Amino acid sequence: MSEQYRIIGKRIGGLDEKDKVLGNVIFAEDYTLPGMLHARVFRSTRASALIKRLDLTRAKALDGVVCVLSAEDVPNNESVKNVVGQTTEVGLLEATNQVLARDRVRFYGEAIALVAAENLDIAEEALELIEIEYEDLPAIFDPLEARKPGAPKIHGDNNIISAWKIRKGDIEKGFAQADVIVEKSYRTPRQEHAHIEPESGVSWIDDMGVVNIRYAAQVIEHYRDVAAVLGLPDSRVRVIGTIIGGGFGGKEDITVEIFLGLLAWKSGRPVKLTYTREEMGFARHKRPPYYLHYKTGATKDGKLTAMEAKLVSDAGAYVYLSPWILIYSTVHATGPYFIPNVKVDANSVLTNNIMTSAFRGFGGMEVAFAYESQMDELARKLTMDPLEFRKKNFLKKGDETANFQTITSEALLPEAASKALAALGGKGKGSKHKKVGRGFACSWQSYGRMTYLHDTSNAWVNLEMDGSSVVRSGIPDLGGGQRESLRAIVAEILGLKLDEVHVISTDSQVTPPAGTVTATRALYMSGNAARLAAENVRKIILDQASAMVGVAPEKLKLKSKQVYLAENQAGPENQAKKLSLVEVIKSCAAQGKIPQSLATFKAPFTEPITTDLIRDPVFADFTFGAQAAEVEVDTETGEVKLLKYSTAYDIGQAINLNRVEGQMEGGAAQGIGFGLMEDYIEEEGIPLTWNLHEYLVPTSKDLPDIETVVLESRSGKGPFGAKGIGEPAITAAAPAVINAIRDAIGVRIYHVPATAERIFRALKGKREK
Amino acid sequence: MKNFKYFRPKNLDELLAIKNELKEEARLLAGGSNLLVYIKEGSLKSGTLVDIGSLAALKGIREKDGYLEIGAAETIIDIMASPVVSEKLPFLRESLRVFANPLIRNISTVAGNIAEGSPIADTAPLLLVLNSEVVAASITGRRNIPIDDFFISLGKTEIKANEVIITIRIPIPETGRGKFVKLGLRKGTSCSVVSVAVWLIANGRGVEDIRIALGGVAPLPLRAVKTEALFRGKILNEHNIGELALEVTNEITPITDVRGGAAYRSEVSAALLSKAVRECLGMEE
Amino acid sequence: MELYEVDLMVNNRAVSARIKAETTLLDFLRENNFIEVKRGCSKGDCGACTVIIDGRPVPSCMTLALQCPGKKIYTVKSLGSWDKLHPLQQAFVDHEAVQCGFCTPGMLMTAKAFLSDQPHPSREEIREAISGNLCRCTGYQKIVDAIESVGKGGEYE
Repeated sequence: MSEQYRIIGKRIGGLDEKDKVLGNVIFAEDYTLPGMLHARVFRSTRASALIKRLDLTRAKALDGVVCVLSAEDVPNNESVKNVVGQTTEVGLLEATNQVLARDRVRFYGEAIALVAAENLDIAEEALELIEIEYEDLPAIFDPLEARKPGAPKIHGDNNIISAWKIRKGDIEKGFAQADVIVEKSYRTPRQEHAHIEPESGVSWIDDMGVVNIRYAAQVIEHYRDVAAVLGLPDSRVRVIGTIIGGGFGGKEDITVEIFLGLLAWKSGRPVKLTYTREEMGFARHKRPPYYLHYKTGATKDGKLTAMEAKLVSDAGAYVYLSPWILIYSTVHATGPYFIPNVKVDANSVLTNNIMTSAFRGFGGMEVAFAYESQMDELARKLTMDPLEFRKKNFLKKGDETANFQTITSEALLPEAASKALAALGGKGKGSKHKKVGRGFACSWQSYGRMTYLHDTSNAWVNLEMDGSSVVRSGIPDLGGGQRESLRAIVAEILGLKLDEVHVISTDSQVTPPAGTVTATRALYMSGNAARLAAENVRKIILDQASAMVGVAPEKLKLKSKQVYLAENQAGPENQAKKLSLVEVIKSCAAQGKIPQSLATFKAPFTEPITTDLIRDPVFADFTFGAQAAEVEVDTETGEVKLLKYSTAYDIGQAINLNRVEGQMEGGAAQGIGFGLMEDYIEEEGIPLTWNLHEYLVPTSKDLPDIETVVLESRSGKGPFGAKGIGEPAITAAAPAVINAIRDAIGVRIYHVPATAERIFRALKGKREK
Repeated sequence: MKNFKYFRPKNLDELLAIKNELKEEARLLAGGSNLLVYIKEGSLKSGTLVDIGSLAALKGIREKDGYLEIGAAETIIDIMASPVVSEKLPFLRESLRVFANPLIRNISTVAGNIAEGSPIADTAPLLLVLNSEVVAASITGRRNIPIDDFFISLGKTEIKANEVIITIRIPIPETGRGKFVKLGLRKGTSCSVVSVAVWLIANGRGVEDIRIALGGVAPLPLRAVKTEALFRGKILNEHNIGELALEVTNEITPITDVRGGAAYRSEVSAALLSKAVRECLGMEE
Repeated sequence: MELYEVDLMVNNRAVSARIKAETTLLDFLRENNFIEVKRGCSKGDCGACTVIIDGRPVPSCMTLALQCPGKKIYTVKSLGSWDKLHPLQQAFVDHEAVQCGFCTPGMLMTAKAFLSDQPHPSREEIREAISGNLCRCTGYQKIVDAIESVGKGGEYE
């Protein structure tokens, strides 16, 4: 694969790995500034209450405390969340987000006041001197209950904050045509990102009066949110992103940046704020828990006829991205299958739990657990091989999805599933109390933001006088190789070595806006922008060389800092036609034709969704793949041991093969965690598993070797035909494991994570039957 | 405001003197794993941190008078690496392999593990089935506390405010085999949901003597003496092991918490006990 | 509040400071510019702050600085240099066993101490050895690969 490229698709080596292994990389918490204050946040210890009294007097009086802020000190404390495409059926969105809780708290951990002091000890002591009195309000924690008319209201008069539906074909007729029907309910957990690096940043006011915030940001565009809160022009707030110690969506929503901006603005001093691990639990959004009810029908020869899904997600106490996540769930609800008759109804509901928002997989993986469990059970009912059954129904290029979007890229699902299964190798033997089973799951996941958001990304590329290149792109680097991809793309196009290209990124006032590192869009969007800019620069060079040697530019080739005649490069008669890149650049410079380009890549644009019915394309494209697992289940205790694991995706075209595998392995690990152990448990809104010894993520002992199979259809919308892999890598993991458990013990787990206790209970239920 | 002092006693007398003077306010720190968490979380705000980590008097792993004596400041990793332990009580070494993780094993001690009276201390069931003794010292002298008397109630042990654990004494068993099984919520580090230790002295499949201890199923780590009595004298097979093990559910009073439900803890205790007994008999696959 | 003089040997360099009794080694190191030691949880649950003390990998948040005089403390910066990476560091680069890089300094110290004890481990032994060091990015696959490759090299230390 990738023979025609020098760099693209190879195991090209990381751009920052050497500094990372040397301990040289500076992360957000490593920054200090002269005269810096240290900040802490005072948070609610009630899930639903009125604030009857808030007294900051004693805290302010403490020696060494410089700044204590509450809601009344915030220039624009409230913002009304208006989600694009919000339906009218549930009314206009009435949820108001507040920077600091003014009169009422709606979840445990909500920010109420900010303290900045000369050192952290003083800041912590000041927190203890803040006096508060609450009056408890009725609270609601179950999203199913919260939908009911009499439920306590979190905001406004309706707890349902979004509703989406899909209608395709005739659902009644579809089920009437079915010979077998599987109808089941499923639940998924509130997952915590558990990136190892805490949210952290520093802020300062510079000599031009600009509020600078340097923090671990997946979305540097939050400078606008900070400006809005402070009542400043956008141009007066600058976000400088840092190298990020893990994001996964956890550093996508607002974390420390507004607090940092406020405290620097109010105190006039540099400020540092780092969340404690406790705050990472209490204060930051989680993956929304879902209730899913699925009914799927097929004919006896294995053709799907109908699918009906009802989805309810817990938005928590404030509206962040849960309505968008719900759109993803709704559109992805069918799985990567062609189903003639589809009905999906989805709600996102406010509760007094912690707010929910972005997490890798973003609505796609919750439904994948349900639709792939359904597919597995249907195959069983039909006594059909689960892969053969799926093959009869896989979406193919040219097929239409349930929301009438045509698949325009390859969908290598049969290949991915077969290869994932084959990669497991020979099957292990069980024993009396330890049963071995295998399962797999297929999935699809969009890459790129929803097309009605009219996403764009910019990149600037140049050639220096010596022929080296600088790339500027706003894209943050989360460790997925975001900068590295841009370097590889530009080096490939300009015929340079990797270390001749330098990437400057993630500064809202220096780098061209590239958009977020979310939605599996970084390579697709910023990679395309860098490609366009590099192609423009190459064109400038080749045009100039063409004029210099009198050969048409199409016949010229740029490689190793030389411009060659494309054919017979080595021939002696052409040696005279070879120019050094530096010569061409000098010639350009002499004529004022600077080899630089600022390029914009635009995703396909569609009209905003204007009703709750989704019946138009929502995404640019999808990534397809499969994961397979072999498990051993201890039938006496319910414990699961993963024996083997494989993951296979068509990623279109690898940029750096190591990085593709890294995404697939890491995604699988997080998805396995979601399937087997991860659960951010709240009881009456009080978090119980906030630290990393109660909230369990997979350790090296919980995972087997993960085999990766990389397929390259070159049919994607990204540079060189690449598709995105960041999120798709996580989606099929949980159902693969759950299907394997089903195979091992004959019992299905409908509520992930499949803890030993849940499996034990399911086994007991089966024995008692 | 946090207000801590630090003190490193040069010898046992200094340690006992400061413990006598400050009582609970003298916070002993060998590895420090729990204590430092309390300080970070703010639940502990003051006291004197008494560093016993390098106190020679609390070091040493030796065989003496038929006992394995482990100094209170010996880390889990040093116990596992000890040739004496490997030779005289490999059961202990094997069982400690599931203690926390390699990093924590490098700093934690057995004494620290049991000192808080936690029902899920992983070493407690081991010490219980081995009929161990905890040697406590104060300025007035030493006393040997049988492990059966050591745990008093949730979070409370027999150690008085002026006392210090100095040694763990484990009689070296002449016969028998042991097995420790721990059920956690993941394979790497995790708190026990339930743990079961068994020491079995068998003649073929006939039970001459058995000691059973459990963690995570009562306010204290406990010995399941009634179940032991039922097992004694029986000829075991796969079937009756499971039946006899069920008795253990009558001896425990598990609670429901975030790691597991009471009913599960109860039922899985019997399953883990069966497993441990089978393993002692070499029956486990 | 009482302050204590402490002199520690970090990466073969004497470092002195006046500190509070409860200052953890992690806080001490970071306050003295050893920022390559990463703070992940401060509770001994993640392993990001692992350093080697007298040959053993230890989470530095779980040790008081005052417990460490006379001990040899090493951070990741003791391993290699830009011009000459330590074989483990080279293996992590070669296998791209690094994504965000936040767990890497601690992971490397655990692996270093482990390979010193056990130069030719199995994959299972590697998985056991690093099980106190959480990585949320990689699924550990390439980390295990990298450590294994050094073990197989036979030239370790």
